[in-house]
Amino acid sequence: MDIFSNLLLGASTAFLPMNLFYGFVGCLLGTAIGVLPGLGPTATIAMLLPITFGLPPESALIMLAGIFYGAQYGGSTTAILINLPGESSSVVTAIDGYQMARNGRAGAALATAALGSFFAGTVATILLALAAPPLAAVALNFGPAEYFSLMVLGLVASVALASGSLLKAMAMIVFGLILGTVGTDVESGTPRYVFDIPELYDGLNFVAVSMGIFGLCEILRNLEHERKRSVGIKKVSGLMLTKDEFKRVRGPVLRGTALGSFLGVLPGGGAMLASFAAYAMEKRLSPNRAQFGKGAIEGVAAPESANNAGAQTSFIPMLTLGIPGNPVMALMVGAMILQGITPGPNVISDEPALFWGMIVSMWSGNLMLVILNLPLIGLWVRMLTVPYHLLFPAIIGFCCIGAYSINNSVFDVFMMAGFSVVGFALSKLRFEPAPLLLGFVLGSMLEENLRRAMLISQGDPMIFLRSPLSLSLLIFALIVLALVLSPSISRKREEAFTE
Amino acid sequence: MLKIRNGRDFVGGLTMICVALLFIWFGRDLEVGNSFQMGPGYFPTMLSLVLIAIGVLIIVQSITVHAEEGEPEAWNWRGYFLVIVGPVFFGLALSGLGLAPTIFLLVVGVAAASKHANWRHSILLALFLSVCSVFLFTRLLSLPISAFGPWLPFFGDL
Repeated sequence: MDIFSNLLLGASTAFLPMNLFYGFVGCLLGTAIGVLPGLGPTATIAMLLPITFGLPPESALIMLAGIFYGAQYGGSTTAILINLPGESSSVVTAIDGYQMARNGRAGAALATAALGSFFAGTVATILLALAAPPLAAVALNFGPAEYFSLMVLGLVASVALASGSLLKAMAMIVFGLILGTVGTDVESGTPRYVFDIPELYDGLNFVAVSMGIFGLCEILRNLEHERKRSVGIKKVSGLMLTKDEFKRVRGPVLRGTALGSFLGVLPGGGAMLASFAAYAMEKRLSPNRAQFGKGAIEGVAAPESANNAGAQTSFIPMLTLGIPGNPVMALMVGAMILQGITPGPNVISDEPALFWGMIVSMWSGNLMLVILNLPLIGLWVRMLTVPYHLLFPAIIGFCCIGAYSINNSVFDVFMMAGFSVVGFALSKLRFEPAPLLLGFVLGSMLEENLRRAMLISQGDPMIFLRSPLSLSLLIFALIVLALVLSPSISRKREEAFTE
Repeated sequence: MLKIRNGRDFVGGLTMICVALLFIWFGRDLEVGNSFQMGPGYFPTMLSLVLIAIGVLIIVQSITVHAEEGEPEAWNWRGYFLVIVGPVFFGLALSGLGLAPTIFLLVVGVAAASKHANWRHSILLALFLSVCSVFLFTRLLSLPISAFGPWLPFFGDL
């Protein structure tokens, strides 16, 4: 079977000692930042992008991917132990997980989270391996019109699935798209919004922008509400699940994995949405639903499986179509571009070692994470005692060095500082920065495809409606938009996000 | 008299409109072209117009829809100043002072942004980080920055 030879190729790449090492580093880092509140995978990956420049592409992407799904594991640890979710996707886990800890079943909760995540990660990896080649094959038939419509769908869906005001998210996307036009226009060679600054001829530096908007801005916000973190954790013992508990988690893990895998593929979806949805679904379906909120083990199993499945399946659109579905994927696209790889359906055929290596590394990464998270849990607990006032100067230092190191240019550091102000202003006005990053990354691709489509159709916008694929994508986008605007769904969104 | 129900969103919408106008203004020399042959100015101008429309809608919404009760805003002006000026200082001082002193000063300066900081911790942290970053970035990753720069007469040749 073709898939076997592909997986073998992937294994031969992923199990190279260097890639195993970097995968391990990624998972370790991911768990660490997942545990630490105030530092998330987006900011960390943005900070580490400059370092990946010097690494071979497979190692770089394996490490970055490890950070992402590793953070899903780490976030649940603090959620369960001290009711402080380290990651947005672990918020739901804290509800029942912390209660379980208070009832003395912290070990069981942690074990459920880790094992559920491992199962979900394995399934998601298989899904990735199975779905990717046919998807890429379909996408190779995409013309510029189809690509344009797909990107529009992606942007609309990410708005729809984002929390907060729709109009504001749309404004952020458009703002990001415009920012993407800064630089030299590829078609005509004309400089746009460059103001004769030589560093801007290549456009705004993606890494500097993301570090400013996500990393530094986050620090600015955190400095407003500084709390002394009180860490009163009892020793965690007993990682084994009882037979009864084991039976109870089987269903939730399966359902969570399925739901998470589905939601992760959708643009704008991903780990957080998956975990919320899985919790809500499980609450409705479970025979033990009265216990939810008081320490039901299903309330840990479902969201934890879902968030891992969602995190990994969100790689599918990025790896096969080149379309990032969430900010982390946008950063991965950025990383690939830094390495000189153009993301898109040709990645699977041009760089098969990279593609399949990444897929296999996700599975080995999940294995490493289970080991990291269960036996080594004491280590993470101790890490929680690092005070934020020691952490954030280190982060700022690394951000500065990182921003400088991309082009050996101080201007990038200034740009990062500038964008931290922009990001801060936006957050004070309650605009979410994530859609901005998505728009920024997609901006030039969107424009290029629009241009080409218009060229082919000689200025006729009907081209987007004439192609069946493009038409259905646009209709789907409209449906998504309508669904979100409809009052009943918007009420459900409100509920989901206020919980 | 129009009562603004959601002040923050009103300002937000206004900001978006201003941003869009800025882009249109600074892009006024770019050739727009037509939809067949899109010039460099087509996409940005079109997007700016869309942004203006969205901004107007946000303002309309701010007039009609009540703001939700939120937490009161906390402001940490000292924090903002230090964290924003920090990287600027870094950029200015790096080539002159070199990596180690710049990181040291950056960390000490920025750490003061926190309520919980104390001098001993900050200085120790700064020392630790400057040693680590020199080691990590110049030795291991071969970044072309010197550990100590030309402004420091004695160390400059290290």
